[in-house]
Amino acid sequence: MKKSLLLLSIAGLFIAGCSTTPMDAPGDPSSNYYGQDDPSTDSISSESLGLDELRSNTLLTQRSVFFDFNKYDIKPEYSDLIGAHAQYLNDHSAARMIIKGHADYRGSHEYNLALGQKRSVAVKEALNSLGVSDSQIETISYGEEYANQECQAEACGQDRRADITYEVE
Amino acid sequence: MNTPQFNFDFIRNSNIWTTLENDHNLQANLFSFLIHFLLFIFMIFSVQWQTKIPNYAEVELWDAVPTQIKNKQIKKEPKKMKKIKNIKAKPPKVTKEQLKINEEAEIKLKKKKAAEKKALARKKKLQEIKKLQAKLLKQEKIERLQDKVLEQEKLDQIKDKLFEQEKVDKLQDSIRDEELVKKPRLAIEADKELLAGINSGELDRFKALIQQKIQQNVNNQLCGLDRVELEFEISLMPTGDLLGEPKMTQSSKIASCDAAVERAILQSQPLPIPKDNKLFKRLKDLKLKFHPNGHYDL
Amino acid sequence: MIFRIYSLLFGILLLISTPIHSLEVIEILGGKASEIPIAIVPFEDSVGISGQKAHQIISKDLDRTGLFRPLNTRGISRPPSSDININYTKWSAMDAQFIVVGKVESENRNKRSIEITWSLIDIFKERTVVTMRYIGKKKQYRAIAHKVSDYVYEHLTGSKGVFHTKIAYVKKINDKKYSLNISDFDGFNSKAILNSTQPIISPRWSPDGKKIAYVSFEKKKPVIYVQNLKTGKRTLLANFKGNNSAPAWSPDSKKLAIVLTYNKNSQIYIINSDGSGIKQLMRSNSINTEPSWAPNGEDIYFSSNRGGSPQIYKINITNDDITRITFEGKYNLSPSLSYDGKLLLFLIQDQGKFKVAIQNLISNQVLKLTKGPADESPIFAPNGHLVLFTYKDYGKTTKIGTVSINGLKRVPIKVGNAIIQEPTWGPITIN
Repeated sequence: MKKSLLLLSIAGLFIAGCSTTPMDAPGDPSSNYYGQDDPSTDSISSESLGLDELRSNTLLTQRSVFFDFNKYDIKPEYSDLIGAHAQYLNDHSAARMIIKGHADYRGSHEYNLALGQKRSVAVKEALNSLGVSDSQIETISYGEEYANQECQAEACGQDRRADITYEVE
Repeated sequence: MNTPQFNFDFIRNSNIWTTLENDHNLQANLFSFLIHFLLFIFMIFSVQWQTKIPNYAEVELWDAVPTQIKNKQIKKEPKKMKKIKNIKAKPPKVTKEQLKINEEAEIKLKKKKAAEKKALARKKKLQEIKKLQAKLLKQEKIERLQDKVLEQEKLDQIKDKLFEQEKVDKLQDSIRDEELVKKPRLAIEADKELLAGINSGELDRFKALIQQKIQQNVNNQLCGLDRVELEFEISLMPTGDLLGEPKMTQSSKIASCDAAVERAILQSQPLPIPKDNKLFKRLKDLKLKFHPNGHYDL
Repeated sequence: MIFRIYSLLFGILLLISTPIHSLEVIEILGGKASEIPIAIVPFEDSVGISGQKAHQIISKDLDRTGLFRPLNTRGISRPPSSDININYTKWSAMDAQFIVVGKVESENRNKRSIEITWSLIDIFKERTVVTMRYIGKKKQYRAIAHKVSDYVYEHLTGSKGVFHTKIAYVKKINDKKYSLNISDFDGFNSKAILNSTQPIISPRWSPDGKKIAYVSFEKKKPVIYVQNLKTGKRTLLANFKGNNSAPAWSPDSKKLAIVLTYNKNSQIYIINSDGSGIKQLMRSNSINTEPSWAPNGEDIYFSSNRGGSPQIYKINITNDDITRITFEGKYNLSPSLSYDGKLLLFLIQDQGKFKVAIQNLISNQVLKLTKGPADESPIFAPNGHLVLFTYKDYGKTTKIGTVSINGLKRVPIKVGNAIIQEPTWGPITIN
């Protein structure tokens, strides 16, 4: 009994430590760049990246900023969250952030892709204003592609978001 | 020995017309004479022949099929030729048809016993009609025939339509007959009054009725998006049916639109027609101007 | 009898009498949208075709257009199979203005081939319009029936028929199974040209019919591929930093307008079809996306929220002039141009519902073609007279269907049970 409980609790810890967003496969999106910024994926010690901090700090484990329908302005309630991530990036110059924008299913796929992009850019610009440079941030959008197709209009709030993810975790 | 008495009463009351009614041979012969006479006139005076060449059939090479296929042409003879042949063959056929129809007429006569009085009055009027017809025929109308373009097909159509009318309701027949009888009598008097101010309000009302009826049938979806104009000339019979085919005098330059407007005209038969003969004469030849996609003063 | 003679004589009187006055003129303005009643008679079949019969295929084709009303010809006694001895009175009594008759026979030399002979007959004028014969393999039966539909449609409306064309669409079986499929325009003969575990969106068929461009998320971000339909090979057209999406072909199939983000907002660029020569078309702080090339090759229509909420604008490639196009409604997306540039298709949000709308670019009149509530992806057929779009079936599964541009006929396209979305329409091909 005791053993299984222990195993269970350890497993629970691991699960809690896992990221919640589905698209966190490390390292993938950086292939075939034509652009100027080439993220370096050389061996970086996990200490220099402060990965422990990333996992334990409550604010840093919060990764999603939510938006109203058709909107991409950041609501004041997220300023602390953004501040925490800005701090982290400023402290760890080797860290690379990928912001992934999403939208709910209403409207066209392409427009929602653009809307999701606006949301991730809004988060990026908020970070910029806190001193983070573009070299540490990439913005992409998934639009409505991973949204819940069956929610009822206003109840689709979960899908109107920008997710913060880190390249190496 | 009873030689048939030559009774003048017989002549006065019924004479040629009754004889005609009963003597089927004479009917047939007279009829055939009429047709030949008309044909003769038209042959001499009609000038334009519209040649309508229907589409020829084609075979399509199905290039997705690996094996080569040889084309077979299916040629359709222009329908015109067939029709002419039919007309020439008609006179002997007429007799058989006449017999059939006359059988039906006999049945009808039996049913009409109650209307004997009307028959008498009718015959009197028909006498007058005969005189009037002779009078009119004598006038110089022949040269104006050249202006009217009537093909053989139109004549056929008229005859067909008239034959068709036999099968129409009995009551409709008698009403129409009365109308037809009235008109020639009025014709002489109407001639003078024609050019005078007839009730133009009535005229406009019928024009509006005709306009409304045709407009409902114009499927303007087939006329593109731009403003187009079409013009047709039509001639009407007292029944409201068209005499012959509508003649297009201005095309929209869009084939499907021309066809759709022509269909609209054909579909609108019978057009609302005034019973008054003076009015009818004003309306029996019409020029129809179409703007299927809307206003012409933009 | 007497009345007959008299009637004939009077008829002659009418013929020979002339009007003493000039013709009365009647002006007839406008008309009424209606459907041509046409009877497609079951073809005589001595071959034994299984599946849908020609008359059903042709009836369904013509019915979709909203211009024809195919009459019920089931149970007609002794249906004619050629234009000989047509009983015009009977068809007239059924209100048919045209009829199509035909027969299917075995081709003499090759047992696997069939011969279809058919006629289009005008009931008003009582004459045959055309008689034709098609020869093909038995498996081409549907294609031949579509050719008949095309001919009848073209003859009576003046527009090219699209019943022989193909469409492509994205099929989502589950969250990890997507495919890009091509089928006949009515959904038959579907086959996948791409399978993926990640989403595929915005497929666009090139006007020359040879390629399809599409956006794939297989690299965990949207990138654009161009796939050659003949060889099945594909090339990566655009994988710039950020998003790459919304490909739109130029009328000559040599260039594409695309949307890139480059770490900022969505902007429109032009690129050659081989991936070279990228050129930015506009710079702005707002969203600019969903480019659609006008047939004149000079203007590109797009959606933008530069005015606050999304509307449709157009930009001239040469002088960079931007003009707003849509003024009705507050949320307009997804422009699609007709092949003649006269009509614009777009998505309008009307009282909270997304519907397909069409705008006449000359008169600027707008007509809503569908009812929503979650319609999307309106695409013109290559003849500009039919529209492909997606809708939510019973609020859940997304399906595709066609709607006629007069808004009268909405008909689903059945391609199976999965989620079907993001359609595109292939070009008219002349055989």
